[in-house]
Amino acid sequence: MAQKLPDIQKQALAPIDMVRYSGASGDFNEIHTVPKVARSKGFKEPIVHGMFLMGWASDAIDEWFPGRKLSKFTVRFIGMAHAGEAFVIEGMLTTDTAGELQIKDGAGIGKLVGSFELEELPV
Amino acid sequence: MEQEFHYAPFRIEAGKIREFALALGLRNPVYFNKEAALDAGYPDIPAPPTYTTVIDFWNERDFYQLFAVWGLDPNDILHGEQSFDYEKDMISGDIISATAVLTGRFDKKDKRFYLIETTYRNQDHEVIRIGRATLIERREQHGAEIAGHPKTSSRAD
Repeated sequence: MAQKLPDIQKQALAPIDMVRYSGASGDFNEIHTVPKVARSKGFKEPIVHGMFLMGWASDAIDEWFPGRKLSKFTVRFIGMAHAGEAFVIEGMLTTDTAGELQIKDGAGIGKLVGSFELEELPV
Repeated sequence: MEQEFHYAPFRIEAGKIREFALALGLRNPVYFNKEAALDAGYPDIPAPPTYTTVIDFWNERDFYQLFAVWGLDPNDILHGEQSFDYEKDMISGDIISATAVLTGRFDKKDKRFYLIETTYRNQDHEVIRIGRATLIERREQHGAEIAGHPKTSSRAD
């Protein structure tokens, strides 16, 4: 009964959005915000926090299933994401209460893959 | 290496939830509006699904101290995987205590993997969330290789 969920488009982040998330989350790892540090670690530019992408994924689940709560949520970070790239979140419902999702860039390259289970609805 | 790390007790606050939700672009009104939270059946504003990051990083004994105790440089650590089990709601006003345990460590090629399980309990000592993280320490400077190969199974957080 796999059922495709509506794609969710995410606008490109600006570098300041990553600064803002660093402040909000407390994760001040400089590879996310300081170009010089990112380059010294071998990245071409600062990379988006993985937990930023997981937060987006949680927002997508909220949009697909309003009012439903998560019971499990697992993601794997499979590619670097950067400011200036637009993303799409794709999802698939695999059972009544479980699904899979991924975040890709405009070229279709995956950044995050994940799975989730929703709480059963009260009877 | 210490196998266990205890975060300081941490209060869940609506204003901090609002800031976090705005930074992520979350759209569910329960994170911004107490009436919406009450309408949705919560006793107050709830914390979003990935909010435990705030507990780990804005803590008096924070994740950077965990890194220091375990001898890791945060700028060399990539986030490979993350999962959460949600047992009970986390609500503003709750005081959360968290304990991180190193459940595994192994080397693969030039990378060292750390498996960390963190259990979050509320003021009633109920387990409300369990987080499981796979962190990857790059033992040498291989970021360029990783960045140039998007299909590589590990990446930075």
